Amino acid sequence: MARLALLLRLARRSVLRNRRRTLIILVAISVALWAMIFFAALTRGWENDVVHNAIFTLTGHLQVHAPGYRDDPSVDHSMKPPNATVAQLLAGTEVAAWGTRVRVPAVVMSEHDTAGVTLVGIDPAAERGLSFIADAVHTGRYLDSPDDRGILIGRALADRLGTGVGKRVVVMSQAADHSVADRGFRVVGLFEGDREATEMAYVFVGRRTAMTMLKLGSRVSELAVMLRDRRQLPAFLARLRTAASGLDVQPWTTLEPMAQAMVALGQAWIWMFFVVMYVAMAFGLVNTMLMAVMERTREFGMLQALGMRPRLILIQVVFESCFLLAAGAAAGIGLAAGTLSLLHGGINLSILAQGAEMWGMGKVIYPAAAVVDVIGATALVVVLGVFSSLYPAWRAARRVPIEAITRN
Amino acid sequence: MTDIVACHDLSKTYRPDHLAVDALTDIELTIAEGEFASLVGPSGSGKTTLLNLIGGLDTPTAGEVYLRGQRVDTLAPGELADLRLNHVGFVFQAYNLIPVLTARENVELVMELQGLGTADRARLSRDILHEVGLEGLGDRRPAELSGGQQQRVAVARAIVSHPAVVLADEPTANLDSQTASSLLELMRELNQRHGITFIISTHDPMVMEFARRRVMLRDGRIVDDTVAA
Amino acid sequence: MSAGTVIRSTSPQRPGLRLYLRLAWRNVWRNPRRTLLTLSAVAFAAVILVFMVSMQLGGYGAMIRGATGVFTGDLQVQAEGYHAKQRLRTAIADASSVEARVAAVPGVTAVSSRAQAFALVSSATRTYGGMIVGVEPAKEPSVSTIPRTIRKGRYLSGATSDEAVVGQALASNLSLTVGDEITVLGQGLDGSLAVAVLKVVGIFSSGVPELDRQTVEMPLASFQSAFLLGDRVHAIVVRTGGLEAVPHVAGLIRAAIANRPGLTVLRWDQLLEGLKQGIAMDAAVGWFLYTALVLVVTFSILNTFLMSVLERTREFGVFLALGTRPRILGRVVILESVILLLLGLAIGTLAGAGITAYAGVHGIAFSSSEELLAQWSLPARIYPRLDLLSVTLGPAAILLATLVAALFPARRIRRLRPVDAMKAV
Repeated sequence: MARLALLLRLARRSVLRNRRRTLIILVAISVALWAMIFFAALTRGWENDVVHNAIFTLTGHLQVHAPGYRDDPSVDHSMKPPNATVAQLLAGTEVAAWGTRVRVPAVVMSEHDTAGVTLVGIDPAAERGLSFIADAVHTGRYLDSPDDRGILIGRALADRLGTGVGKRVVVMSQAADHSVADRGFRVVGLFEGDREATEMAYVFVGRRTAMTMLKLGSRVSELAVMLRDRRQLPAFLARLRTAASGLDVQPWTTLEPMAQAMVALGQAWIWMFFVVMYVAMAFGLVNTMLMAVMERTREFGMLQALGMRPRLILIQVVFESCFLLAAGAAAGIGLAAGTLSLLHGGINLSILAQGAEMWGMGKVIYPAAAVVDVIGATALVVVLGVFSSLYPAWRAARRVPIEAITRN
Repeated sequence: MTDIVACHDLSKTYRPDHLAVDALTDIELTIAEGEFASLVGPSGSGKTTLLNLIGGLDTPTAGEVYLRGQRVDTLAPGELADLRLNHVGFVFQAYNLIPVLTARENVELVMELQGLGTADRARLSRDILHEVGLEGLGDRRPAELSGGQQQRVAVARAIVSHPAVVLADEPTANLDSQTASSLLELMRELNQRHGITFIISTHDPMVMEFARRRVMLRDGRIVDDTVAA
Repeated sequence: MSAGTVIRSTSPQRPGLRLYLRLAWRNVWRNPRRTLLTLSAVAFAAVILVFMVSMQLGGYGAMIRGATGVFTGDLQVQAEGYHAKQRLRTAIADASSVEARVAAVPGVTAVSSRAQAFALVSSATRTYGGMIVGVEPAKEPSVSTIPRTIRKGRYLSGATSDEAVVGQALASNLSLTVGDEITVLGQGLDGSLAVAVLKVVGIFSSGVPELDRQTVEMPLASFQSAFLLGDRVHAIVVRTGGLEAVPHVAGLIRAAIANRPGLTVLRWDQLLEGLKQGIAMDAAVGWFLYTALVLVVTFSILNTFLMSVLERTREFGVFLALGTRPRILGRVVILESVILLLLGLAIGTLAGAGITAYAGVHGIAFSSSEELLAQWSLPARIYPRLDLLSVTLGPAAILLATLVAALFPARRIRRLRPVDAMKAV
């Protein structure tokens, strides 16, 4: 222990001895770590947004459909409402929200224009906590009940159709008996989505109104479930699959493969950048440590003459690089925390909204430092940094030519 | 009297591609406990090499080195380090001290490596600094001390853990004559008071006056070995 | 190196660049290990930047070519207001004459007109909404890749008026196969019902999900008569020799149709604003990453520059004492840094260009995210683009940043005074 204290003291003082050099390498380390964490936070913000959007844009954590619906989302693939066993599962504590929907392709016509949309019949109350729509009404009102006779359409779609609250639109779709069902709706509200694509894609009506219009009887298109905790998904999924045998029960990861792919891609980018930054920083660290060691050849020779074992000298140099790395890492993390807290309100991408949508982002992206990334980046820098300082440390611990000790 | 240092048939040849200066040939030398010996000779005569071989800083090409009866030249680097730590004190011509440590810490360094407790270290270093006349200067770093004071710290550090032998390589070379003389005085006092063996290499005539035994080297061979009456 | 050489050369005449170079070159190799590490750092950064910038530019090129090639074209002539609100009546009147004029503009390699409307598409059993596009069957293949991506059947022949090709996803939603009949039900120009009964002759898979999910192409003439458009179209799609030519050609077309008010010429970046913005965003993130990398490398090697000056303070003192001007010493030091940087950049740029050239031939596959890439109009293999810009941009940025770093220690020399410098250890 006494030796350890000695080595730590020697290392600490040596690091502080050449302040300018220490400062320069600290800047390199901290900028590297700052950039790593900040980039990871940006990427995670993007991922979170993609995932959040995927889940809240009507997907939920998992869905139940009639077999074949996912390939051909039409009235032909409808199913009965949840049976008793499923209902019992849905009443469980891990379920935060659930709802059944009618969801079919349709055409909306105003007096000016026509657009293809997805007609969604919902239980307005059940959608709270299940999807974005309950909180997305921008003008007008939300739907009252599954029997509401009004329609909720996206702001961008209303703009395109030249319609608005209080006006009438006609919705056409295919009924269960393959006849063309059409029905006039009064626009009761306009909703705003995080992405323009959402505003263009969906129109919402009462579920029972839709069932009547499409001659579905008691049948629905899908059951969407939101759990309290995403981690409960695999277990709940398994139970639901047993309860709803014969139906197609899928998690959001299967339903939204793009979101999954983006998350995987984001992960790969983060680590690629981490490695590049680490290497750039390691060159500087090794070079600086090497200089620090070379100019102290005499000092290390002296320590050896005094009987310090080579291993202890090696440890001392490694400690020195530990101090640099730890201080640099602390500064880098602090810098990143500062930057991220400045961006606490999110980065507003409204002016690049369409570009953001291309990358699956909403109008505001919230950089989110994931603990695993912060730890990963820090560990990479510190652990591999220490590892790369083994070379200079080894040089310091080598047998020193005796002349070097006393010569000027 | 027992032999502290014994060298038999000791030779050192540097590799031909090396900048060869000092080389030793067939050295036979024994130093008894409590001796105050000087190694004299012109520069390049092999003094430093001999000291380094005795202290285990370098390994001979041929021959044997014994310290306190233990064979030195066959030890592994780690064992050599322990040997130096516990039984050899070094004083070099200059740059003896670790610049980032204070005088006291430099003195305590060896004891810390030996694993001595804080209280013992503090007591011993205080006593020894007092003994070498550096009372009150313990908290200064080497850069804040004069050359003579630095050498005194080095001597203090060399003797503080009671080594079998202190090897001093040209300890006075960078000092003015008055400072050199008082440093030598100090070493002789320590030799007499504590019975610590000193081997001092030098080409300073003053040292030769202080030393009772004088071993003279020339071109790597011992040409004279006299003990003053 | 010896001080004597310098002194003889410094006075009385001014020493030449040749001497500086020789001195600097020798100094660079005084500490080979340090030099190699510094070279590696610079070269590493250059390799990464050359490769990444080439990848980025190559990727953007592929994205733009993919997105414009499938359907949009390099340029479109439209009626003013149509791009913002795609209404049936916002059309180009007297389209044939406009198209002829556009086709005559130099730099235009292909032209084709389209009209489009949203309508209900019904098969025997199903009804879906779809985008019905009236195209000129003979000209369409020169502006769009859809005719080349027919998976089943064939493209429109132009021989009969009642043919249609349908996107793969839409066809499967409608349970259609080649030979089936579809009914298109929409709203004509006067608000009346527009009906067309068509025979499916082909099913295409363009690779763009949005197109495959909702597009039906039919002959323009039949479209115009079904939707009561007369000689009106919604877009005249133009291809040019290459993306670089687009702004210039756009200007020429604008001039050529200046006498026709109410028309506008839109470039691909205006038509596909999302793509342009997406690229801008990706580029911004790229610049952030590159800046961070350059910064880290700069600070990493700043210590090397600083050390090589500080450890030679004594030597500089000797030079100064012998009458060398501080400015000359400063120059030699800067020259050393420049040699080191240029050498590192040369190695890195060559290696980076080599790797990039190899990847440019073989492409970089992103097999696991093929579908995702398709969404961004990216092919499964991305070919980095190696050109003067992509090769020089990164290394130039490194050179600039590190040169600033090199000036910092060199400045110290000017302040050196011989006596102090000689005292330094």
